[in-house]
Amino acid sequence: MEHMDHTEHLEHTETPADMKSKIWNTFWILLGLTIVDIALYFALLSTHSMLKNALFIVLGVVKAWYIVGIFMHMKFERKVLMYMIILPMIFVVFFIALMLIEGDFTFHLRW
Amino acid sequence: MANTTNLSTDKKTAWGGGKSPFSVSYGKLMMWIFLLSDAFTFSSLLIAYGFIRYSFPSPIENTIVKPLSHVAENFTEAMNKAGLFVQDHWPAPELVFNHFPFIHGIHLPLFFVSLMTFILIFSSVTMVLAVEAGHRMQKKEVANYMLLTIIGGAAFLGCQAWEWTTFIHEGARLYGNPFGPRSFAALFFIVTGFHGFHVFSGVVLNVIIYLNVLNGTYEKRGHYEMVEKVGLYWHFVDLVWVFVFTFFYLI
Repeated sequence: MEHMDHTEHLEHTETPADMKSKIWNTFWILLGLTIVDIALYFALLSTHSMLKNALFIVLGVVKAWYIVGIFMHMKFERKVLMYMIILPMIFVVFFIALMLIEGDFTFHLRW
Repeated sequence: MANTTNLSTDKKTAWGGGKSPFSVSYGKLMMWIFLLSDAFTFSSLLIAYGFIRYSFPSPIENTIVKPLSHVAENFTEAMNKAGLFVQDHWPAPELVFNHFPFIHGIHLPLFFVSLMTFILIFSSVTMVLAVEAGHRMQKKEVANYMLLTIIGGAAFLGCQAWEWTTFIHEGARLYGNPFGPRSFAALFFIVTGFHGFHVFSGVVLNVIIYLNVLNGTYEKRGHYEMVEKVGLYWHFVDLVWVFVFTFFYLI
């Protein structure tokens, strides 16, 4: 146990020296993307298409990448950890596709 | 003898050897795995939303109310009469979430929720700055950034309480609402409520960590890894909000 406790705090992947500026850059990017989101919402207010939805989702995923990559330090961790967390999200993508198809059927049954 | 040497080198990279193959501590790895499972929970909720939203026709186009224009007190009733809020069309989020504290009678679509998003992003930044200060063992700096993070989280929760109150005042319930299909308000309460509960838990954890930092617990321990672990959770809450914001308000 003593040994484990000792190694616990020694084990973390290197943080880049300019972490502080990386953090602020990420903040400005997130802020900018959110403003783009809102601007697009108003610009495309009267359009309803899957393409518009896809656009917002892509923007969301880009923001997610910055939060997970920089804020949550994922970019600087070992690749094996990154894949362990990100690859299972494939199931979510599959689930989304499945339920949108179901939603379409339900739509046509109702209307 | 050669075998023993091989064994000892293998041990260095294996769990049994006291070293994580992921190069992160046990606690951090478990936090990541918890967050993955929590991501699945939130995904299920958002997919349920997507499914139900997709099975209803899109909102009726609003050509009446322009952003920043003056609106009457009984806005929801007026929208009902104008045929923009009907039971079988999903309501346009811009017409539902158009209130701002202390400002009455002006149509401010999504302004308040954008403010909430900025607050949460900013509290994520102060959290990661606390982690960064922890690496440099700057106790005072960590404490200050933690306090800012707590304030950000509390501000977000306050905003959400205000938004819920306004929403409920207008007649939104789990079982029905004056804006559109029943499931609209039900999903809103469940998903934002579940997220809000996460924010609340995060604030509680942040307060505990903040007090520990002040007490010098982590200074004695020699590292501020606990700040990192709770930080991971806090960023996750921000991450989920990005998608809640996208699906509930933008799409």
